[in-house]
Amino acid sequence: MENQTRFDLNAAIETWRNELAAQPNLASDDRRELETHLRDALASFQQRGLNDEESFWLARRRVGQPRQLGEEFVKADLAKAWRERIFWMALGIIVFWELTQILTFAAGITLYYLFPSLHELYIKSGFWPTDAVVLIIGIGLARGSYAQSMKLMWFLKNRFHLVSFVVILALLLSLTQTEFARESFVLNGHHPSVVTWAWAPWLENVGYFLSVYLAHIVAPLIFLVLFFPTHNWKTPRHA
Amino acid sequence: MYKTAMLTKDLVAASSKPLLLSILADGESYGYEIIQKVRELSGGEIEWSDGMLYPVLHRLERDGLIESEWKKSDTGRERKYYFINSGGRKALKSERQQWLAVHNTLGKLWKIKPALT
Repeated sequence: MENQTRFDLNAAIETWRNELAAQPNLASDDRRELETHLRDALASFQQRGLNDEESFWLARRRVGQPRQLGEEFVKADLAKAWRERIFWMALGIIVFWELTQILTFAAGITLYYLFPSLHELYIKSGFWPTDAVVLIIGIGLARGSYAQSMKLMWFLKNRFHLVSFVVILALLLSLTQTEFARESFVLNGHHPSVVTWAWAPWLENVGYFLSVYLAHIVAPLIFLVLFFPTHNWKTPRHA
Repeated sequence: MYKTAMLTKDLVAASSKPLLLSILADGESYGYEIIQKVRELSGGEIEWSDGMLYPVLHRLERDGLIESEWKKSDTGRERKYYFINSGGRKALKSERQQWLAVHNTLGKLWKIKPALT
């Protein structure tokens, strides 16, 4: 008996769905619509007596190559494509900023209690090591270097999860800026997450207000409300 | 992108709007069904590539000529249905006049019986 691997229709559809999801220009609503189309085509081939594998490949051919679909959808709606791009760019900037601030705070406290000598050095460095680490991870992510571990980051796949993630980061960040945190963790005269103010103390009062009330909570929320694609709410979870 | 040479790319692009509006004027429908209908009505001479239909439908929706809604079909499967609105009906009327004008002129030149308006 030949060692033939059985064709798994569900796995094939899942792979196809992932290929489609990799197209940055296809909104989730578009993808679900294309999936219903694929399933309709699939069913019609099956009805004509083709087996699962044949039906799937024919249906897939019918719907078109994921990359070509992405290009055609973008041509049809440039405004939407730019909206998407700006969403991801701005999200990247916000997450980068939030993460560096939180990590700077955490690293500052950790070093202060565990390695006081390194802490002094860390403050003198202007906290750039934390920025560098986040930046390197971010570049790696953007280039797809962690494709294998991407499965762990399920929260990146759904925009609602993604937004929740950003909001949690924002809340966490605002915690590091509360009076309690500031009074408890003023280390060697520096609040661990206050990067620029060490050089410009006169900015501190203005900067404190801006960072707590505007930058941490209001700005991310305004951004999310402006850019969150509303039509996705109506989309069913599965086609 | 379009599979057959029966209609040029330009003609496919130009005719998709009146075709879609006319189909939807007959009743709401979804992508797969629309493609089937076009294939059937044209006797296979107008062959749209399936994935290309959606950008066109979305553009018509953005232009305010059609609307869409996710609905359960009789088989229980959820599909995105499109339906025409009053703006679309108006646009269809104007499309109809233009296409008939072209059709009748060519018909006279080619000595074909003119279409009934």
